[in-house]
Amino acid sequence: MFRHTPLRYATLILLFSGAVFQAFTGDYYGLEILSEILILAILVLALDLVAGFGGMISLCHGALMGAGAYGFALLATQAGLSPAVAIIVALILVGFIGCIIGAICARSHGIYFIMATLAFGQMGYSYVFDAPGFGGDDGLTGIPRPDMSALNIDLGDSQTFALYCLAALCAAYGLVVLFLNSGVGRSLVGVMHNEVRMRALGSEVWKIKAIAFGISGMIAGVAGILLAQHSMYVSPSIMNWTVSGEALVVVILGGLGTLVGPIVGAVVFVVLKHQVSALTSYWHLVVGCLLIAVVMSGSNGIFGWVETQWTRHLKQRQSPRLAPRSEPTSHQETVKDA
Amino acid sequence: MAPDFGFWTLQTLNALQLSMLMFLLSIGLTVIFGLMHFVNLAHGALYGIGAYVAATVAGVAGYWASFILAPLAVTAVGLVLYTGLIRRMRKSGPMAQVLVTFGLIFAFLDVTRIVWGDIPLALEVPDLLSGRTSLVGVEYPTYRLFIIILGLTVLAALALILNRTQIGAMIRAGVDNDAMASCLGINVEKLFFVVFCIGCGLAGLAGAVAAPVLSVTPDMGLHILVPTLIVIVIGGLGSLKGAIWGSLIFGFVQTFGAVLAPQLSSMLIYGLLAAVLVIRPEGLFPARG
Amino acid sequence: MLETTGISKSFGPIHVTRNVTLKLEKGERRVILGPNGAGKTTLFNLLAGVLRPDQGAIHLCGSDVTSLSVAQRAKRGLSRSYQKNTLFDGLSIRENLGLAASIHTGNAKSLWRDPLGRPEVRQIVEEVANLVNITDQLDNTVNAVSYGTRRQLEVGLALATRPSVLLMDEPTSGVGPEMSKAFHRMLNDLPRDLTLLIIEHDMDLAMDVADTITVLNYGEVVFDGLPEAAQGSELLKEIYLGNWENA
Repeated sequence: MFRHTPLRYATLILLFSGAVFQAFTGDYYGLEILSEILILAILVLALDLVAGFGGMISLCHGALMGAGAYGFALLATQAGLSPAVAIIVALILVGFIGCIIGAICARSHGIYFIMATLAFGQMGYSYVFDAPGFGGDDGLTGIPRPDMSALNIDLGDSQTFALYCLAALCAAYGLVVLFLNSGVGRSLVGVMHNEVRMRALGSEVWKIKAIAFGISGMIAGVAGILLAQHSMYVSPSIMNWTVSGEALVVVILGGLGTLVGPIVGAVVFVVLKHQVSALTSYWHLVVGCLLIAVVMSGSNGIFGWVETQWTRHLKQRQSPRLAPRSEPTSHQETVKDA
Repeated sequence: MAPDFGFWTLQTLNALQLSMLMFLLSIGLTVIFGLMHFVNLAHGALYGIGAYVAATVAGVAGYWASFILAPLAVTAVGLVLYTGLIRRMRKSGPMAQVLVTFGLIFAFLDVTRIVWGDIPLALEVPDLLSGRTSLVGVEYPTYRLFIIILGLTVLAALALILNRTQIGAMIRAGVDNDAMASCLGINVEKLFFVVFCIGCGLAGLAGAVAAPVLSVTPDMGLHILVPTLIVIVIGGLGSLKGAIWGSLIFGFVQTFGAVLAPQLSSMLIYGLLAAVLVIRPEGLFPARG
Repeated sequence: MLETTGISKSFGPIHVTRNVTLKLEKGERRVILGPNGAGKTTLFNLLAGVLRPDQGAIHLCGSDVTSLSVAQRAKRGLSRSYQKNTLFDGLSIRENLGLAASIHTGNAKSLWRDPLGRPEVRQIVEEVANLVNITDQLDNTVNAVSYGTRRQLEVGLALATRPSVLLMDEPTSGVGPEMSKAFHRMLNDLPRDLTLLIIEHDMDLAMDVADTITVLNYGEVVFDGLPEAAQGSELLKEIYLGNWENA
């Protein structure tokens, strides 16, 4: 079950302050990285929702993000809708697609589920690549940012855009927490722990999975829309399975099932990527080794490890006669057990 | 203008060639999955290494040397991989295996770039197999014909080994029920090791054989991964029959799809994969059940 | 209340359930006895909807539920506890019961309200915890409590959906005599309008709790009647202990 511990609150405050600080002191390059981190954070938040709290490891979230990006791009440029309306319609569309995928894959488990999402993601990728009007390999350009001049906000400015992304991340986070504590959200966690019992209690498991995947898809769609607005350009490469793979890597690196962990993971991943790429072009080697190290260490990512250490520290401080209160941790104690 | 008989023959041969290439690659992976329940995504990277080694060796010692040495080199890599990493991960859940081998793909991608650089390599078709052969009314590149024949030969050899030899029986027993096979006195660990190394060797062979036809790039292992997964999932995990049928289905759907319905063709194969995974996840001809 | 008419189930050549006809009245307490392999758990799987019978029909509270899914039957008042603990490990006992209760009250469908905060859910959680004697453990995680407590939670989960028919598969399996007696008392405390069908091996419990006894052997009903009649039955002795003459 998801709960905010003092450690999680502290980390969130730290992250938020860090983002605001960077927004107001960073140069152009710094602001671009900040936006990149924030957009990735929204994507991995969406993925952690279904993977960490629903046990549904997905390799199609990159494609869902791409669907949001392309949906917004087409609606705002070719269908002539205003960006605000385009955002809403694109989100509904992606949410719907997510629901369908979740429903179809509801009876699949384990490696078969992962591969089924991969298949759906690649279907989306090849569709976007080949279909007329989508721009093919060249992609689409001229994507507008919303016009908020009525509120005296200019989203064309890098700093304002970064803050806009931060607001979106906060909203997404709030939504996910609200959902996880709701009836459906708790049922999702129940399904992850024991699908058989949930059915026996009268729960329609496929509906829960479909709803969760729909909401997760919508949030991934938010990331996609921001991505499209940020670079004002989309290309099919954002829908390839390797993007979904990277999202999964970030979630694992940060800490599956903690919500805060993946956000930490996003920061570490983007910063590391830019630092390493400045020194060497062998970024993939670094990521690969890091991933292998995290998985083999048995810990649940960076934040998961911190949480375990913190809990251990707290238990040592407590009097041994008191019964230890069970600290909330993510369901998958280590990735190895997944 | 209606396509004539020659056109269809050409496409059929192309489909067969693609199928045989996929077969060489997928047979190793499917038996590893069926026998060891180990999801080895790095299999694609081994194929890439095979191609690179082949290109390098051929530059020095000619095509046929690389034909022998590349699979051996990749088998050696597989050996190291197994003892170093895979043996430890065997008892972990599928997620951990997916992630670790995923990490390996990334790592190998850059390792090949470090060793061989970023520029795509090329490998020349050997003189013996260059040019075209007249066959069933068409002129078909001899080298591609060679690929088809090689694939069929490997298929026949494996079928013989699996169905007619002691070790083949042990492998089939291990795929069916490894705990039971162990109780019967079969050294399942050793068997796994042998199968894993042979699987790696075949991946290396596939790379060496594909090199003259495709360009040798650092991300070729990544690109071939999803097609390989498609083949083994549709065909059915763990069986020779599954590997060959999956390869044929893939080869023909891809080739004819690209020709007849280019806009839909890529979606088609993924749609097929999704359908199999949802409706009949064990595939068409699984080793078990 | 719960009625099966001639249900049969085979797996290939093996007939696990043969032509079983049962009729339970509302509030009846029936114990199913039978040696291992007699098909008792399969019968439960058929009643619950995990398996579909090859022949025959199942009626719950008068309506035909033979083609309904597990979840659909559960929603109509059929509940089940398992021989092997099927709990939400990693969650607290309160959350376990809360899940079951929220599904029953419909709060599980909410997209924004926390069911554990709802009074109707809390009431059920408290009542059930009281009934199965785990009130002092509510905030502990399932992983951290004893096997006996988990067994009690197992039944608690089934009760939290306020069923009209409860199938209990060997509820005292693996628990010691003290706990067994506690279970005994708990069963007698259950609402009298709750129909119970219990698979049991504990004869004392069976004889004490049951209004009627059904005995299964090789998938068929070989005895159906009062506990007193079962106790004296030569047939039953033979089924359980074997035939000494033929040994």
